[in-house]
Order: sequence, then C-alpha cells, then structure tokens
Amino acid sequence: MSAIVEVRDLYKSFSRGDEKIDVLMDLTLDVQEGEFLALMGPSGSGKTTLLNLIAGLDSPTEGTIRVGDQIISEKSESELARWRTRNVGFVFQFYNLLPVLTAYENVELPLLLLQLSKAQRKKQVENALSLVGLGDRMTHRPGQLSGGQCQRVGIARAIVTDPTIVVCDEPTGALDAKSANDALNLLGLLRSELGKTILMVTHDPHAAERAQRIVQLEKGRLVGGNPLPALARLN
Amino acid sequence: MFPNAAQYGQSAPVETSLIELALYGTVALIGAIFFLTILAIITLPLFFGAMYLMELVIRGFQNLVDPVGKYAKLAGLVFRSLRRNLLRTALTYIALFVLTGMLTMLYGVITTIGKMTTDQENSQLVIMSEKFGIPSMMKPGYAANLKGLMRDKLPKEMQPADIDQNFMTWSFVGGTLDPAKMTQENSLFLFALDPDAVTNGMMKEQGLNPEDLGEDGWAEMMRIIDLVKQDKRNIVVGADRLEKIGKKVGDEMKLFGTNYKDIEFECKIVGAFPPGSRMGMNAAMRFDYLIAKLDDYRARTGKDHPVADRCLNLVWVRMPNKAAYQQLAAVVAEPSSFSNPATKMETFSAAIGSFLEPFKDIFWGLKVLIMPAIVVIMCLVIGITITIGVRERWTEMAVMKVMGFQPWQIMTMIVSEAMLIGTFGGMLSTWAVYFLPMAIRSITKAIGVKFAFFDTFHSPWEIVLYGPLLGILVGLIGSALPAWNARKVKVSEVFATVA
Repeated sequence: MSAIVEVRDLYKSFSRGDEKIDVLMDLTLDVQEGEFLALMGPSGSGKTTLLNLIAGLDSPTEGTIRVGDQIISEKSESELARWRTRNVGFVFQFYNLLPVLTAYENVELPLLLLQLSKAQRKKQVENALSLVGLGDRMTHRPGQLSGGQCQRVGIARAIVTDPTIVVCDEPTGALDAKSANDALNLLGLLRSELGKTILMVTHDPHAAERAQRIVQLEKGRLVGGNPLPALARLN
Repeated sequence: MFPNAAQYGQSAPVETSLIELALYGTVALIGAIFFLTILAIITLPLFFGAMYLMELVIRGFQNLVDPVGKYAKLAGLVFRSLRRNLLRTALTYIALFVLTGMLTMLYGVITTIGKMTTDQENSQLVIMSEKFGIPSMMKPGYAANLKGLMRDKLPKEMQPADIDQNFMTWSFVGGTLDPAKMTQENSLFLFALDPDAVTNGMMKEQGLNPEDLGEDGWAEMMRIIDLVKQDKRNIVVGADRLEKIGKKVGDEMKLFGTNYKDIEFECKIVGAFPPGSRMGMNAAMRFDYLIAKLDDYRARTGKDHPVADRCLNLVWVRMPNKAAYQQLAAVVAEPSSFSNPATKMETFSAAIGSFLEPFKDIFWGLKVLIMPAIVVIMCLVIGITITIGVRERWTEMAVMKVMGFQPWQIMTMIVSEAMLIGTFGGMLSTWAVYFLPMAIRSITKAIGVKFAFFDTFHSPWEIVLYGPLLGILVGLIGSALPAWNARKVKVSEVFATVA
C-alpha cells in the first residue's frame, strides 16, 4: 500500500496577542491508502488541528502536507475549497446537517458543487443513503431523525462525493452507545467494502480500537502508534 | 393664489407657529407610521405568498437540466433560510415596509412641491397681482388693460392662441349668513370669476379638470357651469362647505358681504364642488354679479362702494412659453402700464416658491437629513436581522465551507436573503402607497387630498420602480457586513468553539 497522506516536518502555531502558541511541532506522519487511523490524545494536544490541516481547512505554519497527488499546504483558500469538495469527506461530532434541508438534500449539497448531471447526483445520493441504511428516510428533515440517524446522514454526506479521505472529528461524541457502535461499524464498512481512507479524532478508546492504527499526540508531537489489534480484527 | 393663504391673509401657513408645526408634524408622523404598519400587516400574506410563489418557480427550475437546476437548488436555500424564522422575517418586512412607505410619501411631497415650484417650459401659468399690497387689490379695469397690452405689445407668436380663453380674473368675496354673529359655520368664501374660465381649463390647478374629476365628474361640472350661466345669482359651493353651513344644492340664501360691506348677495346653490377637493371648502360666483351688486350700491347710495375700485384681486394668464411670459412681465413692470397700484407678474410656480420660502429649511431637512436617515435606518434594520441570522447559522456556514463552498458563494447567499426581503418590502410598500390612493379614488370617485394651492399630493409613477430598487440597494448595503463576516468564517475556529 502507498501513503495517500504524507505529512512532513509540520509546524502549526497560533498567535494570541503577543503570545505565540505552538500547537503542532515537527510532525511527520504517513497514512496508507485504505487505512483507518485514529488520532488520540488529551485536550489541546493538537489532534483536531492536525485533522483540519490534513483536510485542508487550515494552512500549516511550516512543513508540507500531500494528499493523493496534491500538495495541499501550498494551496490558496479558494483552491483548497475546490479541492475539499472532491477529496475530503467530513464527519462532525454534532452532525452539522442543515435543518431546513431533507436528508436527501443534505447529502446532495456537496454534489451541487461538482459537474454532475441531475441523474448522476440522484444515483450517488441514493447509493450513499442506502449504504448508511437510510434509503427510506430521504425526505425526512434532521429534526425528524434520531441522533444516530443524523450521524448516518452525516456519513452519507461525507462519502457521497467519493472522496480521497474521510476525516471524522469525534464522530461518536454525541451518540449513545448503540448509535456510536452503529456509526463505527459503518466507518469500518466504508474502509473494508469501499476501501476508504479514514482519519478519526477521538477521545473514546473503544472507538479508537475500531481503527487499524492509533496515533497518539501530546503537546503537538506524535508520541506513538498502535496499528495492531484493530487491524487484525478488521481485516 | 388662494385667499385662505397669504394673499388674503386668513390663517396663512406663514403665521403657523413652530410649536404648531412641530405638533402637526408629530401627529402626521405617528399617523403615517400607524397607517403604514396596518398596511404592512395586511400585506404580510401577500409578502409570504409572493415569496412562496417565487420559491415554487425556483423549485420548478430545479427540475431543469444543469446548470439551471443546480443553481435553482442553491437559490432554494435562500428561501428556506428566510422561512426558518418567520417571525423575524415578518418583522423585518414590516419595518422595511413602514420605512419605505414613509420615504415614498416624503418623496411624493417633495416631488409634488418641486414640480409645482419649477417653471414649465410650455404653458406658463402666470399671475398678475398688486406689487406691494397684501392682499392684492387692483382696479377692475386692469384686466382689460392687460388684455390690451398683450394684444398691442406682444408679438403674435408670444400671445396665447386665444387671449380670452387663456385669461381669468379672480375677485375674493367673503360672505356670511348671519352678519350679527359671524362664525365658521355660517361663512362662505367665494371666487368671483367668469364661468367660462372653468370651461376653458383655467381652474385646472384648483382641481377643476377632467383628470382630477374623472369623465363623469367633469361632465357634471360642465352641467353646473351651464346652470351658473343661466342666472348670475347661481353659485357653486364646495360639498365640505355645504355640510359645514348646513345647506344643500337647490337652497337659496342671502349672503351678507364681509369684505364688501353693505352688499347682500341673493344666491341659489346650483351645484357642489367634490368633497375633499381643493374647492371643497370654497365657493364660486359670477364676477358680473359682483359688478352688478357694486353698481346697485352706487345707485342706492349715490357713491361708489369703498372697494369698488379695488375689486380685482388676481389675474391669471396662460402664456405659450417662458419667453412670452418674460416679455409680458417686462411690459407689466413698465410704469406706464400699471402705476396706481403698481403690479407684478410671476409664474404660478414662482408664486408657490415665494409662499414656501419660510418652509425651505424644513424641506431641505426632509431631503438632506430625514430621507437619507430613513435609508440608513432601513440598512441597519436589515443589517441587524441578517447579522442575527448569520450568527445563528455560523456553524452551518462553516460546514458549507468545509464542503467546498467558496466564500463568495456564501456571501451571495446571505446578500440574496437580504435583497429578497428588501425587494419585496420595498416593492409592496411603494406599490401600496402608489396604487392604493388611486384605487380608493377610482372606487369612491373622490379626488385627491389637496392643501391650499398645492397639487394633489401623490407619488410619481417612477416610485413603482424605485421601491424595489431601493429594497435591493438597502438589502445589498445592509447585508454587506454580515455577509463579509460569513465569508470570512474560520472553519477551524468555529469547530474548535463547538467542540
């Protein structure tokens, strides 16, 4: 397997007044194509920042990030926006569905930014919703769905564009145990059936166990990885 | 000029105190706000109905091939966002409706006054009056002298096509039904003039024309004028004044002259001017009846009535153009023409301009301060609404950015929401203010509300276009800042806050 995400010598710092806060320091990481990687660490360790940088939501202070064949750390904001549409699927902790849209319309939204025909959009949306088991809930609005169902719509929205990577920020953080388990099963399925590369930030060790590899961050540095138990089980 | 204005010295607006003016202004303002708010609430279903219809059309487009279908879906988002908080959208609409309505009304007043105080290149309505005396009181022979001067001293091309048909004299006659106890309820003010002046359209500015009266009203007016011509004692009284003095058409009455002392007029009311019109509180009689009564007085007393030699108050002439008016004014100004008393000639618009001189600061304030202030308030209203909406959807904006929406696309969505409310608010408000009075007038056959010698106060037709354009502009300006903020939303910061 080749590395689909390549992070090299990454630095990220923020300024708060005169104070400079280093969030990520000298970070190097590879993620293989089709890998399910969990990023763990205490609050403030920089895991969400790392996820945002890989997803092209922020730019590094120093270092390079390559996703697929694109060096995203060199892209402008509008280039990154275009790149994200096709290459990144994002799963949020609080689903972040648009409440005025139906499940179908929420999933269709990113496709409106791509050059697809109406028929193609319809097919992809229906496939994505069927995959997450919500083929019969297409016309429901988020307010009419449970938390677990909302997260499944969120996952369908993340994969509908067939992205290069799927990034998940605490995807089970707002779910009960059963819904969380369903969501994690679904992510596992995406990896095993569709070969999706998944990067997941989580505090939950149980959730992290479902990943093939766990990467620990502490004070902005990688302190270790654990690819073994989950990998064996999922394979 | 109207007798109840400066020329006659009866409760002229120039005498209105500042406190009174402020009081009237405040009452008018509160009344306008109240009226417009009611109108806004009444038109709310129309607003939401129009929005819904537009959304249906957009939805129809969503089924078309891309890119039309795709963009229609994105446009649909704008409507849904506005439907998210109906109360807020409704309140914003009401505020914009009221403010636009006030702006439209002020614009109507200012343009009407502007139009009336601007000389028209063609058809110059000019007035000859006493140069130094207020009220103007000239010799009755001045009318014939002026006609003579026009014929002799003006080149043919500068003369009206028919001098007699473009000529009118006014004499002001005050009368009371009870000379012992004169009150508002038993008094009458009459214009003494040649009835043909009405037929010839010389009373157009006073609302006696087919446009203001409508076809039927004008035909009725012609019938009344014919009756007046039949007997010099026949008079026409405004419907409002008739009500005030408790008389009706067909009644006969004896009027005791108030400015023509010791003269009694035996009158028969043969018709009424429409209620609410500029002539609604006045009356008109034949000039030759006044002259006949002055002759009677001389025959009775052996001497001229004290006012007999000063019974001509104003002379109106319709000149073909400005150059002709200027030539005539120069002739009239010559001492050899009219010297005792000296006279002046001015256009009707200039006369109104002189009358409005004491109020020019108020009009300046309306135009330069109040109207722009209303526009600024409109921008603030829409800005605050959109800001609240954007703040509520801060995370959604970030999510859209994550999906790949470009900053300009998010900005466009926000601005479109504001422009949509602005357009509908502006459009419905100006249309209501423009078309409602028209509809009421056409249904009730009443003519517009007129004040003193002003034309009917109504908004110019172009306001129908300006309203929506103003709404678009206000929406654009008002939403610029919140849209810019939404455009700049930092995704990583939003989600850091959410987490």
